[in-house]
Amino acid sequence: MECVVRFPATWVNAPRFEVALRDSHGPHAPDSHDIVFEIPSDCKIMIDGAVRLLSLANQLVSTTRRTRLRFEEGEAGTMGYLNRMGFFDCLDPRVDVEPERPVVSGAALYRGENRMLVEIARINKDVRDDELPTRLSDVVKAACADRADVEELGGAVWTIFAELIQNIFDHSDTRLDGYAALQVYQGGNKVSVAVSDSGRGIMNTLRPVLRSAFPRLADLSDTEVLVEVFRQGVSRHGVDRGCGLKGCAAKAIKFSATLDVRLPNQRVLLVPAKGIYEPNTAHCYEGLPLLWGTHIGFAFGMSA
Amino acid sequence: MNESVSVLFLRKFMNRPDGWGRSEGREVYSRLLDFVEENSGTIIFKVSFDGVRRLDMSFASETLVELARRYRRTKGFCLVELTDRDIAENIDAAAEKKDQPLLLWEGKSARVIGAGPSEGTREAFQFAMGRLECRASEFATHKGISTANASMKFKQLWNEGFVLRRETTADSGGIEFVYQRIV
Repeated sequence: MECVVRFPATWVNAPRFEVALRDSHGPHAPDSHDIVFEIPSDCKIMIDGAVRLLSLANQLVSTTRRTRLRFEEGEAGTMGYLNRMGFFDCLDPRVDVEPERPVVSGAALYRGENRMLVEIARINKDVRDDELPTRLSDVVKAACADRADVEELGGAVWTIFAELIQNIFDHSDTRLDGYAALQVYQGGNKVSVAVSDSGRGIMNTLRPVLRSAFPRLADLSDTEVLVEVFRQGVSRHGVDRGCGLKGCAAKAIKFSATLDVRLPNQRVLLVPAKGIYEPNTAHCYEGLPLLWGTHIGFAFGMSA
Repeated sequence: MNESVSVLFLRKFMNRPDGWGRSEGREVYSRLLDFVEENSGTIIFKVSFDGVRRLDMSFASETLVELARRYRRTKGFCLVELTDRDIAENIDAAAEKKDQPLLLWEGKSARVIGAGPSEGTREAFQFAMGRLECRASEFATHKGISTANASMKFKQLWNEGFVLRRETTADSGGIEFVYQRIV
């Protein structure tokens, strides 16, 4: 059957992406064979939503589902914007784009000119681009050059990208590409970073080892375990590993960033309270439509 | 004892100014290991960060922290020329995870990153940090506690990697340990 995911005619960030997905039949549902993403006029897809849409569309065609992105406004609308951030360079050629795919890649046109404050980078598991975290953090530094804490911000963004991207190489266990993305909002007072992969999902790799390696966490809910991953560091490789995500969280908290983690059927939103992420300030959404992988987004809301 | 101190320029062992990820860290670790083994007479290595631009937690964990842990009690590693707060934070997080203390020297003062001393050994550690080397008996006199108690604290600090020690002959003719600050 046809599964239609309708986005609203407004800004679509990760939460609104999730609402649209929830209101659909579920693109990964066994009886969904023909998937249409409808993007109406005045719909503006933000980076955290875009990177999830990209991962999902590529997942769907990899399972031989017919997958279409229907842009009502054509290149004049959000499609042009997505093109400039490199969306179509990363989109599987088997995904149909309506009215048609952009002829010229806007990202290739503008990249390196420092004009763009958004970018999506492909993470191919076979080839690590050693300069990627530096390139992404340099965009943030250039956009926020007037801030007194620009060096610290650049370092935090570099570390977050380095750790999250490396996790894809080390843990995600998938043939599909992952993506790193960032968006700096006007004035440099808001930065959104997102890293997505289409792998097994952090909880599926952790759960099997919890009872032996972390018995104290074994009976906790997924949300609680996830909070502990970011709060104390938990790794399937044992107690002296797992500092990466914890360290990312520590950096993000300094800039009061919210942390959004989407797993195959769940989403956890962590909001910093008194300088840490606490289970009681975590918002959890269970039973979501399937989206393979781990999708992590940090939204830095910074006072100028 | 050979008390030689060497400077280890981390950048020379890295492929690039950035240290990123565990596998790259393991590659660098084996080079560091060779260097340490080649300099077998060196007890303390001052790890210089001159020329290092970035370094993430996973890389720090596989290189410096692993090295310090491997040679704990026999060789000391301290950090110098490290002004980047972000790098220091990342090493701190990696070292804490492996229960490894590391001294970060900024001019003439040092701070511990990674694992900190326990409540019971903190004063003894501060005492040790105030001088190049000391004996437990000196701390015992200073604090008015028994030498056995002071010895226990210093032994713990040595075991946990906060200080080094060497054997000497005490005035009484027995063996006495001299505890050495990591530079």
